[in-house]
Amino acid sequence: MTHIVGRISAALLATTIAGTALAQDTAVTIVLSEELDIVDPCEASRSNLGRVILQNISETVTELVPGSGLQPRLAVSWEDKGDGTWRFKLREGVTFSDGTPLDAGDLAHSIARFQGDAISCEIGAKFFGGIELTTEVIDDTTIDITADPAQPILPLLMSTVTVVPSETAMDSFVETPIGTGPFVWEEYARGEYIKLSANDSYWGETPAVTGATYLFRSDSAVRAAMVAAGEADIAANIALQDATDPAMDYSYPNSETVYMRPDTHTAPLDDVRVRQALNYAIDREAFVGTILANGTLLATGLTPPSTIGYNTDLEPYPYDLDKAKALLAEAAADGVPVDTKITLIGRIGNYGNVLETMEASLSMWQEAGFNMELRMVEVAEWLDHYSQPFAEGRGPEIVNAQHDNANGDPVFSMYFKYACDGLQSATCDETLEGLIADATALTGADREAKWSETFKYIQQDLVADVMLFHMVGFSRVNPRLEFTPTIRTNSELQLSQVGFK
Amino acid sequence: MKSFLGKRAVASAISLVGLVILVFFLSRLTGDPTNLFLPEHASQEARDKFRAIHGLDQPLIIQFFSYLGDLLRFDFGESVRRSEPAIDSVLRGFAWTLQLGAVTMSLVTVAAIVVGSLAAFHVGGFFDRVATFFSLIGASAPDFWIAIVAIVIFSVNLGWLPTSGTGTIWHWVMPVSVLFIRPFGLILQVVRGSMIAALNSAYVKTARAKGVRNRPIIFVHALRNALLPVITVLGDQTAAILNGAVVVETIFGFPGIGKLMIDSILQRDFNVILAAIMVTAFAIFLMNVLIDILYTVLDPRIRY
Repeated sequence: MTHIVGRISAALLATTIAGTALAQDTAVTIVLSEELDIVDPCEASRSNLGRVILQNISETVTELVPGSGLQPRLAVSWEDKGDGTWRFKLREGVTFSDGTPLDAGDLAHSIARFQGDAISCEIGAKFFGGIELTTEVIDDTTIDITADPAQPILPLLMSTVTVVPSETAMDSFVETPIGTGPFVWEEYARGEYIKLSANDSYWGETPAVTGATYLFRSDSAVRAAMVAAGEADIAANIALQDATDPAMDYSYPNSETVYMRPDTHTAPLDDVRVRQALNYAIDREAFVGTILANGTLLATGLTPPSTIGYNTDLEPYPYDLDKAKALLAEAAADGVPVDTKITLIGRIGNYGNVLETMEASLSMWQEAGFNMELRMVEVAEWLDHYSQPFAEGRGPEIVNAQHDNANGDPVFSMYFKYACDGLQSATCDETLEGLIADATALTGADREAKWSETFKYIQQDLVADVMLFHMVGFSRVNPRLEFTPTIRTNSELQLSQVGFK
Repeated sequence: MKSFLGKRAVASAISLVGLVILVFFLSRLTGDPTNLFLPEHASQEARDKFRAIHGLDQPLIIQFFSYLGDLLRFDFGESVRRSEPAIDSVLRGFAWTLQLGAVTMSLVTVAAIVVGSLAAFHVGGFFDRVATFFSLIGASAPDFWIAIVAIVIFSVNLGWLPTSGTGTIWHWVMPVSVLFIRPFGLILQVVRGSMIAALNSAYVKTARAKGVRNRPIIFVHALRNALLPVITVLGDQTAAILNGAVVVETIFGFPGIGKLMIDSILQRDFNVILAAIMVTAFAIFLMNVLIDILYTVLDPRIRY
């Protein structure tokens, strides 16, 4: 009990003396939508943590740069040695912020750590599920990494791997991240702020920003107001209704794609004509500029247009109510139970105006003759409907989801969303299985062509889902900064890319 | 009094144990935190690993007794989301809420008693009408709306106050003001009603007949007798703040226990939920004891 009383006293004292930093001219304040919980670099694929530490504190092996493709970061080159093995040559003269030099052993340790059983790292779960990586250190700056099964895009996958010193504990998350990046983790006052300062021993160019303070405000209007009042420099991820000042507010494709996923295993959604009718019954253009922001793109595939193999020849399904009704009638004539009640499932707060989007979609489908009801549920219940294993004896369901792929390759999406064993797949099609497997194994132009073919098959032949929109995000930026948010701002915010006017 | 306190402590301890059992099982009925913690397309292997690390693969009854065993050593478990002891997260949040609540309720008490007493002294007069009008608005105005409007006016347009956060005394002005409005309106009405009854009582008329002046009549004779129901409502309002001023904490970025509790429920961070409930329950127990003692001070006829 004495221990607890002591902690209460300490906490009271801490809150009394805590203060916020006064902004310096070359320091920036960034306001995020939620407080960070775990701050370990192996969790950097979480968007808000990524915005703080990815490439600022912890650098990745390779880096995917919008418009330029895969670029060197901590690795300067890589080479396919065959049989699933890739050789990576690391940059020389790089040191961690604790002064220890970066070597191949650190990368081997980082990989072992996110694959280990002692902690559950998101990088491992998100990007390397079902893949076993083994490493062989050749010399201080050379390492062979073997993937089983072989991964033709292993260098791309390595753009998600943050490198920590080999002294980092295998069995616990770190509370003070140590990396090789241009900034150093200075302080985390939980619930209040995080501070980063410049890393004087950084191997690359010295950034214009000399320090950063991150604050947490869950309300979008407050985040926007903070930039307007000059208290913050960047408010990532503000709502459409708060992006009211063209001088400060930027819209950009945020790598999220909104779609409806019918359960193709259950009647009447197992009939392709019914799924086509679902597509023809939605007036996609009516959403843009009304419920959703101007600039929202109509989607024909699950990943953003910037991913390789995105099929630009595909057109969104046009709004054709008569055709939708005719397809339903044709299916009914063949004995498909089109009158069966379908449950449309949406996730509360999944994206801006999700409820309005769902209600509008429901109305359009009901007008086409579908017997449908809407259920808006919390994230946990939504995941039960969205992820396998699905509940036994469920009725026909259509799940509304938003999928994020800022990693440049459809492989991060296709297996999980469309393969028979994919965790969020509600379809199982032999042809599609083959296409995904083939595209995954190919490289270069062949890979691009195969993914393109896969997108076409999904949209036109299988009609696996009702693809809706590539979304746009909004960030408010203080006019004193030279910074334009991009698709990557959804998952990282590199301070080295921020300048001053 | 000692025996009374002992009985209250035992009764509260029994209630607390019941609460822990109830919350432990009810919170787990909401489902497994694995799906919320791991990315959507995490493999089954990753999910199994997560469950094993956090003991979620054990039968529920084993998890419960394991938790109780830890609790006896004052080990409240780890926060899954924060990777730190759950009690650390909770005490840090509670310290903020306690400060916010203490400042707000102190101001509310003084202001409501003074304004309510004066309004009751001139029932139907201009001051009474104005006080009643604004107290009713205050008691019914939505916190969220007031908070956002206050930020737009005082921070963005006038630039007088910081929008949110902590650090200086100016950071406290808007959160305390917004939190002040509702209990002030409510308690003012209770004070006013209670004082009207007291001012019409025989002993006040006697005091007046003896030539006692207005100020002692209001603040010495009538107020002391009128305070009992006020103390009850004050306790109720303070308990509500101790449970977390969620809206104010969320809008103004105050890292209090209310927001922590809501986040923990949504994220199924069971250990934090339980620790938060135990800490707030203990605080409310202490506050109720304090109120009981205050009753005896205000009315010596009350004996325990």
